[in-house]
Order: sequence, then structure tokens, then C-alpha cells
Amino acid sequence: MSEQDGDLGAPPGSAPVLRDALDALRERLHERFTPANADGVDWMALYESMRRRFASLGMRDLSADVDDFGMDAEAIASARPWLDLLYDRWWRVTVSGVEAVPRGRASLFVANHSGLLPWDGLMIAAALGRHQPAAPRARFLVADWLATLPFAQPWIARHGGVRACRENAERLLRTDRSVIAFPEGAKGAAKVFRQRYRVQRFGRGGVVRTALALGAPLVPVAVVGAEEAHPVLFKVETAARAFGLPFIPVTPTFPALGPLGIVPLPTKWSIVFGAPIETTELGPDAADDEILVWRMTEELRSQIQSMVEVGVRERPSVWR
Amino acid sequence: MSAPATVAITGLRTFIGQRIAERLATRAPRLRVVGIDLRRPQRLERKIAFERVDLTDPASHARLAEIFARERVEAVLHAAFRRDPTPDVETDHELETVGTLQLLHACTAAKVPRLVVASTTMLYGPRADNPNYLTECHPLRGHPEAHCVQNRVQVEALLVDWARRHPHAQVTVLRCAWLMGPSYFDRVVRHFARPIVPTLLGYDPLLQFVHEEDCLDAFEQAVLDAHPGVYNVVAPDPLPLSTILRLSGTTRAPLPAAILYRMRDLAARAATGDPPAAFYDYLRWTWVADGARGYAAFGEPAYTSREAWISFVSSRRLRQYR
Repeated sequence: MSEQDGDLGAPPGSAPVLRDALDALRERLHERFTPANADGVDWMALYESMRRRFASLGMRDLSADVDDFGMDAEAIASARPWLDLLYDRWWRVTVSGVEAVPRGRASLFVANHSGLLPWDGLMIAAALGRHQPAAPRARFLVADWLATLPFAQPWIARHGGVRACRENAERLLRTDRSVIAFPEGAKGAAKVFRQRYRVQRFGRGGVVRTALALGAPLVPVAVVGAEEAHPVLFKVETAARAFGLPFIPVTPTFPALGPLGIVPLPTKWSIVFGAPIETTELGPDAADDEILVWRMTEELRSQIQSMVEVGVRERPSVWR
Repeated sequence: MSAPATVAITGLRTFIGQRIAERLATRAPRLRVVGIDLRRPQRLERKIAFERVDLTDPASHARLAEIFARERVEAVLHAAFRRDPTPDVETDHELETVGTLQLLHACTAAKVPRLVVASTTMLYGPRADNPNYLTECHPLRGHPEAHCVQNRVQVEALLVDWARRHPHAQVTVLRCAWLMGPSYFDRVVRHFARPIVPTLLGYDPLLQFVHEEDCLDAFEQAVLDAHPGVYNVVAPDPLPLSTILRLSGTTRAPLPAAILYRMRDLAARAATGDPPAAFYDYLRWTWVADGARGYAAFGEPAYTSREAWISFVSSRRLRQYR
């Protein structure tokens, strides 16, 4: 080995000890990086190892076991730190009235809806999960267009969302899993900023009818703060049709900031659980009594409206 | 009347027809089986009488009625349906819809007291607005582009009509999910048996199977005992498509729907007569059926969807090394 061969940075005329050490190092590096069969790389082995690596990457965070609505406990567990971050740090959710939530029974939670993304459902489910860790996870219902949106749909299903329809809610309640419903539906999601905290009409009374048919307690829930997380300034409806969406919301950050724009604002949230309304004594036949259903629906709506108003009035600011 | 003395099976060469004929011939020693098909099966138990009838023949109802009366048939299993759709859309319609009409006329003429019809949960249709579990009362919305599915929807409408006009007859309709198992084969199985399975990017619906033995158990009971009504014959515990393919170690090729549908268009039309959406929509939206009614009538199935799938996958592996 000549002294001109200085690609490892050995200065000419350096001590022979150093030179020997460099030679040894080079030899070891050569051994390390030359495959055993020196006449070629084993492409098949390389491919197989990559395939295994990526296959396990694909399997990461997802278990092979889902429940009957496609909820994946492992996916929820791996999303937990992120949801906790949103819950504790981002929105600093405070919860009240959760002690009155019936224990050991499936309940139908009815909340005011806000925004297109199911953050409110996730946060109510998280609040219930913290308060009653042993109970089966409460499932939130999501609007049709979101439950069928590519990419969103598999994610939501794995994290406990269920398409909002009566059959699904009844099946969940019958199998002792609580349901979180947003009966304002599309009208609630489509609220613009100046309509915030004005609880819209509750569909056609399906929520009350479901609760009556199954004797499940109705729990009114007011979510304060969520309606400012995505302040929709106005809606673009014509261009949205090209994408098959009901409308494109325009917020201060979306679509101006692109994908970053879907990051919600760090408003201060409070989730208020009202006193549960028992439906068992009315009996399942009451579900066919249209006048009763309509009246209970309207009472529920106005109760949630007043709970929301109290929450909005009593908070010091949107951010604190 | 509980167990019939003579059973007629249309579509003896179909999977369900052939397997049920064999089961009845071996398990019920005093029962006579009359098998009806277009061609004689290569292998036929000696106890099974074979009759050749072409259901697309306009006079087939008279021929069937004559056979039913002569043999004193007490139960008919109607399984003469296409396993896979063919490009010959006209003949498919003649065989499935009009053939059923011929059979119903023959049942009326021969006063057959029990009719069991093979159907499929595909008739509910893959729809974005399906509930997660479809019960038997859910309307059959089918798939507008899948001609065999539409034929079978019409078959069920004919059956409802016929059952209303013949209240003395016991009509059983068994709607089966996609069959999986060591010996069943159709285009669904072929699709999943590929080394690389194309899927729709961004969609991951829950899929449901039924193991072939569970399906045959239900059919056997429906033929032997009185179970009038419609039943979903499905395995419990549906699994996401992605999980199913991971269980078998199959490589997925997720493609956007627009590209996949355009890519497969010619091949799909040549093979089935339908555009690719007729099949791939079933891998896009959920169409899982609720099996509770069937479990109450025919017992809990031995295999879950996962086990049915694993049974299929392991039998395929064994076949590779044979």
C-alpha cells in the first residue's frame, strides 16, 4: 500500500502504527460490505427482506382483529397519544356532568354538531372513555358523505365511527355499546361562523325514536368551543360538486394553507353532559307515537341549545 | 310433513346442486333424489336419478311438471343459476329469470309443497348508504350493471309473488354470502387467488364469507325440514378487505377507481358481459348481511369469515405442493 493512496485521509509520512490501523480498518470495511457470494448481489434475498420490512410496516398500527363495525382496538391505542395531545394540550377539554351518565348501560348521547370533521365525536368518546374506562367504547355516528369518503372512511371505521343510520344505532345499543349522535346532521356540519351555537333542526326525530324503541337513556351533550375550531367564513357550493362534496368550506386557513389548513384552531373546549332522560317507562310502543316523538325531539333540542348558551356565556374567552 | 320422500334438484351440476344431491343420497337412505340438468354429470351416485331438461326451452315447464308428478316430488331445490355471469346476457336471463318462471309453473301444476331457492347476499347491492348489517327485510337494490345480480333480483320478486298466490307451499330462499372453502371455485375465488390482487385505493370495506360446508348444512336442513321464509346464510365476524389479504400474504395493488375501471374494462366485458364496476363495487362499499335469523333456524355456523378464508387459503397452499 503506497502513501499516495490517501483516500482515507492518512497524511503522507504519518506514523506506521496509524497506517497499519487504517489498513486494518479498510480491510474490515471491505469485508463488511462485500456479499459472501462476491459474483453478484442476491437480489431475491434483498427483495424478500424489503418486502418483509414493508409488509410489517403496512401491518403496523393495525390489528388483524376488528369488531363487528370495523373498530380496531390497536389502531385506537396507537392513535391514543395524538388524541390525548388534542384533548389535553390543544383544546384543553374540560368535562362536567359526566358523573350522571348511566353506568353499565348503553346510552344514546345527543350533541350539537360542528364542522365537517368528526373531532367532536372523537373527543366525546375520549371523555367517556376516561370517565368509564371499563365500559365498551362509545361509538360516534358520522354523516353519509364522510362515512363514504375514500381514505377517510377506513380511518373513521377503525377509530370507532359508524355511518349514521337507524339500523346501525339500534344494533349498537342492542349490543350494549353507547352511541354518540349528532342529529343536526348535514345542517349542523354546514353551519357557517355567524350561525355558530345555533342548534339546527333535529332531522326527523330518528334519534328519539331509536331511544324509545330500545329503552335507552337519552343524554343531552353540549360541546362548547368546537364550533370555533374550524370557523367557516363562507361555503363554495358550485365547485364542490365536481369533487362530489356537499360544499367546500372556506376558513381563515383552508384552503389557503393547503393541507395545513385542516389543523383545527386551539380553542378551549368544554363538554357538558346533561341529566339523562329515561325512556324505559314510556315503552317501545311510544316510538310509533309521532306527536310524542316530535315533542321530545324539540325538547331535547332546546335543552341542548340552552346548555350551549350557558357554556358560551360563562367562558371567559374562546381561547381560555 | 317434515322430511320429503322425493327431492328434485335443478342444476345438478352446480356446486350446491351436486353436493346436496350427494349428501341427501348418503345421509338420508330412504330419500329419492331426482337430479335435473342440461348434461349428465361425469360422476353420479347410483341412487340419484338423472333427468335432462333445458330450462331455456319454452316447453320446459310441462316437462318439469311431468317429472315432478311422475316421481311424486315433495321438495324442489332450485339451484340452476349461473355460477359466474357470462357475456351471453340473453341466455343468462333466459336461464335464470325465465327458467325460474318455468319451474314455478311446473311447481304449480304438480302442487309441489316445498321449494328451496339458492340466492345470494349480492342482491342487496354494494351501496354507500347501506347499513352495516343488512337484514332480510332490506330492499334488494342489486347492482344496475351486474346483469346476473339483476336477474336474481327478478327471481326473488317472482318468488314473492308466487308464494303469495300459493300460501300452502313452503318457499325458502337462502341468500348466501361469497362462498369460501377448499373445493368451491368461482370468479370471486379466482380473483382472490391471484398473487397480486387489485383493490380500490382509499376503500377498505368489511367483507363477509360463508364456508361451503356451513352453506351446504343450511341447504340440507332447508330441504329436509320446513323453514319457510328468507334467510341470510353468512358467517359471523366480517373482516376488512385489507386484513383478509394480509392474512393470506397476498400483495395488494391499490389503484384509483377511475384507473382500475378503465384498465379492466375490456377484460371484464369479455369475461362477464358487465363493466368492471359490476364486480369491483362489491370491494368498494359494504354489503354485509345480518345472519341472526339464519343462525336461529339452521344453527350457528362452524366457521367465521376469517376461518372460512383461512380454510380456502390453506387448501390453496396445499394444492400448490401436491
